[in-house]
Amino acid sequence: MTSKYQWNNIFLTLIAIVLFIFPFVADSRTWTILLTQIFIFSILAMSYDILLGYTGIVSFGHAMFFGMGAYTTAVMLDRMEPTIGVFVLSIATGMLLAGAVSFIVGLMTLRLKSHFFAMLTLAVSGLFLVLAEKWRTLTSGNDGFTFRAPEFFKDRMVFYLVTLVCLVVVYLLLRRFVQSPMGHVLVAVRENEQRTKSLGFKTLHYKVIASVVAGVVASLAGSLYAVSLRFVNTSVLTMDITLDALLMTIIGGVGTLIGPIIGAGVIELSQHYLSGLAKEYPIFERWIIFFGIVYILAVIFFPSGIVGTVRQALHKRKKPAVLEKSSSGTEGL
Amino acid sequence: MELLLNLMINGLATGMLIFLLAAGLTLIFGLMDVLNFAHGGLFAWGAYSSVWFYALTDSFVVAILGAIVTGIILGFITEKLIITPVYGNHIQQILITLGFMLVLTELLKVVFGPNQIPAKTPPYLAGSWEIGDVIIIKYRVFIIVVGFLIFGIFQYILKKTKIGLIVRAGVMNKEMVQTLGINIKNVFLYVFIAGAALAALGGALMAPYSGVIYAEMGMEFAILGFIVVVIGGMGSFPGSLLAAILVGLAGSFMAYYVPSLSLAVNMMLMAVVLIFRPQGLFKAKG
Repeated sequence: MTSKYQWNNIFLTLIAIVLFIFPFVADSRTWTILLTQIFIFSILAMSYDILLGYTGIVSFGHAMFFGMGAYTTAVMLDRMEPTIGVFVLSIATGMLLAGAVSFIVGLMTLRLKSHFFAMLTLAVSGLFLVLAEKWRTLTSGNDGFTFRAPEFFKDRMVFYLVTLVCLVVVYLLLRRFVQSPMGHVLVAVRENEQRTKSLGFKTLHYKVIASVVAGVVASLAGSLYAVSLRFVNTSVLTMDITLDALLMTIIGGVGTLIGPIIGAGVIELSQHYLSGLAKEYPIFERWIIFFGIVYILAVIFFPSGIVGTVRQALHKRKKPAVLEKSSSGTEGL
Repeated sequence: MELLLNLMINGLATGMLIFLLAAGLTLIFGLMDVLNFAHGGLFAWGAYSSVWFYALTDSFVVAILGAIVTGIILGFITEKLIITPVYGNHIQQILITLGFMLVLTELLKVVFGPNQIPAKTPPYLAGSWEIGDVIIIKYRVFIIVVGFLIFGIFQYILKKTKIGLIVRAGVMNKEMVQTLGINIKNVFLYVFIAGAALAALGGALMAPYSGVIYAEMGMEFAILGFIVVVIGGMGSFPGSLLAAILVGLAGSFMAYYVPSLSLAVNMMLMAVVLIFRPQGLFKAKG
């Protein structure tokens, strides 16, 4: 078991190193931008998976934390000076804001049943969208505004490395989080909330913590997203962002941290290629329809996504061997 | 006075459209514990198909019937393909119906194009009446009348027929109904199809009311529908009518007096109801 875990780690480290070296070797602007985008959405999808995959909560309002981060960074870089210091400060402010909001919203709503929670998060994030559209002095509404990113990020490659570092750090921290005793309680809540409660855990307490962690991480993704575009408008708060996170998590694999990263890669890459195809075949203009269908099929037939299905397949192949061993063992006795 | 009356008629008409959407949602939820996030997609499909049929045949009656048939077919497909496989698993239901909503919306853009489509009011319903110095728009009154008519018909079916009795009993205790030898899944299929047809009818009536139709209107109205279902109490048919009227009136009055809050007022209403009275204002008595 330990050796398998170590192999896993070595494999992941290798991939990370390859990704770090990539921009120095391949001088491709398109790929650098595309991979940056994938990293940012990986962070968002991982944060969503803390809720959906680990705690078993369906939130339709995840975009509000993403948007909060994006707007905080954009507004602060625009109003104050575009320096690294302000950028870091804005990320911290965004996280604090998202943490506070997710704490309050979570405390109010997480005691409700799954349907009601899903609806209420939809409504609350709708409120934030309306707020951003009406508070034009701060957000410029639907038109949005451009701002200057710190000088340091002018080079696409530097920003690529920054987002990659963020992704790795967030991955490691979240892995630590889900493997901690706290993370195990969250999984217990997902499996059977009633039972966890009767074991003496205050499940509401744990669910609120999960939603705060997810909100804070999503805010970081939003901040990076805003800087990567150097532009922000109300689209960062729309349902589309939540849907993206949902698709990535489901297709990649719920209940794992690698799954959402793979999901983000698959979706962003296919989106890139399919919108390229759209020039020739107009049907690909509506590429989202393919994801919708794949997503529905995934929910019915592969509820554990790419990673889960692969793992199950590996597990199945090993299982007969284990059985043989144990039966031969009994024979020996 | 004239202003108040117009705002009332406006609010009532909007409320009726939301009611047609919410009626199906509330019965489906009450009966089978399924919250159908794809319901708004059926609404939008109703609107598009009515406009299409109207352009084809130039008859509003045919357009409405066409929309209802579309709703019935889509409802059947949705229940068989989407709801049945994940029956009993709440999280999967939420995820899959949302995914289907996405597909329905995008499919609309594939079939009818991504742009807004203008919708015409039939000539005999266009224009307005002038009573004294009060101007009343005919089409809005028409929607209100249809809404109450539908409410009456369904209330009659629910209260006076055998299938209505089964549905009401199922909302109260579906295990008990099953024990009595009734296949509740079949009943559920009928209710789902009826709900889809109502949603499509709502969409069809909506099209001339707003003048333009677009694919995203499904989600916008679905959110209002959810709000109504929550306020009215899950599974309560009369509750959804009253809540829909409440939401419609609140929307129309707020839009006039405090426009910046008009979108937020319903969401706040729902949040307050959910936090302090999660069972809704009216308890489901069937």
